[in-house]
Amino acid sequence: MTTDGANANDRMRTDLAFRCEQCGHRWYYTRGRCPDCGEEEVTTDELGVGELLASTRVDVTPEDVRSPNRLGLVAFDDVQVIAQLDGEGVSVGDRVTFSGEHTLREGDEQTHPRLTPVATAE
Amino acid sequence: MTAFESEADRSILELGRLAAERALSDAACEPSDVASLHVGNALAGELNAQAGIANALVSRLGVEGARADRVENTSASGASAIHRGVEAIAGGADVALVVGVEKMSGGETAAVTESISRLVHEREYAQGLTLPSFAGIAADAYLDRYDVPREALATVAVKNHENAVHNQFAQFRTSVTVEEALESPVIAAPLRLFDCCSMTDGAAAVVLSREGDVSVEGVAGATGTHAVAARPDPLKITSVRTAGERAFARTACDRDDVDVACIHDAFTILELLELEELGFYDAGTAWRATQAGETALDGQLAVNPGGGLKARGHPLGATGVSQIVELVWQLRGDAPTARQVPGEPETGLAINVAGFGNNSVCTVLSG
Repeated sequence: MTTDGANANDRMRTDLAFRCEQCGHRWYYTRGRCPDCGEEEVTTDELGVGELLASTRVDVTPEDVRSPNRLGLVAFDDVQVIAQLDGEGVSVGDRVTFSGEHTLREGDEQTHPRLTPVATAE
Repeated sequence: MTAFESEADRSILELGRLAAERALSDAACEPSDVASLHVGNALAGELNAQAGIANALVSRLGVEGARADRVENTSASGASAIHRGVEAIAGGADVALVVGVEKMSGGETAAVTESISRLVHEREYAQGLTLPSFAGIAADAYLDRYDVPREALATVAVKNHENAVHNQFAQFRTSVTVEEALESPVIAAPLRLFDCCSMTDGAAAVVLSREGDVSVEGVAGATGTHAVAARPDPLKITSVRTAGERAFARTACDRDDVDVACIHDAFTILELLELEELGFYDAGTAWRATQAGETALDGQLAVNPGGGLKARGHPLGATGVSQIVELVWQLRGDAPTARQVPGEPETGLAINVAGFGNNSVCTVLSG
């Protein structure tokens, strides 16, 4: 399938990355082709466990977004993601994974997992 | 240029007209001289119900017959319009008029926030990410990686506010102290209110021709990734680095020649990161230089003598043009004494950044 197909099938679940069918390269932020080999055919891949590199707590948020909105930059091996953090007790260097079902923006029809410390997720 | 203010009485077209007529007067040009009009604007359609703003300005200014276009590159629309004007001159136009204009008060705050938040990648938007979110994450990483005191970010705001006190066109002509900056409300931790630019109305304009007392030595643009997290390092803004390298490659100048710089400080952390990406300072050291006064008006590299986006204001499409106007004043020695860079500066640099580094334009001027 293409990235558009993957988006339609998986509803952009936050815990999935794209993986190139041809060379296996992974990326998270939707693009039309594999950035390494140019292949259009992709599959999806669960991100697993990553490390929190940096975080912020945003107090001034859009109307349909929680406030404060805690966000983390996480490295999942070769893929980096910024996503909502669940809970307060997570620090730079902690291991995190996507877990739970949450409404990320009011009005969303679907729920998605948030970044959660591995110990909590287990 | 016009005054930059929170809520201008004039319409977006009148702001553009006023700035353009002031620039034409300064250059001793008539509207009939204008062969090419380039309007930097980001959100006139969304916020001001003004589609076709370049064509509308043609008649307001009386430049019918000129080639005209609107240039949209979000927060860097102004510098992209300058770039387009330089290309027009290179392509044979005798006089190009560049106008940057934005009236952000034309929309409700929520509408403006929504429009700007749509700049981000769709998977970032799904998480509620906004531009301050990226700045907060970058600031957190910078403070942590280089063991930087939080006061260092506040020092940027203090410097730029102090410069704006003496800028009659600035939105915020008030000094702030480090303590006030550190006690202001949190926007995106560790960034607070005084680390962030505001919403602004205003316009700026310049006239480009083959003759003049200030020259465009080089202008160049470069793009980066759309998604910020897709970059290998949150403290690297490749578009800024590449635009700077390309601009310098088109000049006989080097970093050491630059006397004054207008840096896109939409957030205080960006002033530090951009100074490092442009090669003025090594990674992780711009904060020390700032605290040591090296980027003050009388420092070895005066940065944002007009107050920057932080205090002069940030009317998206006008910002890049206002940076060039400020540099022209500085290189001519025409700035008010209280904020004129001393020592007769000869070389100036501007960096105007779209999004959080999606697309940057660097311009080097000599006077």
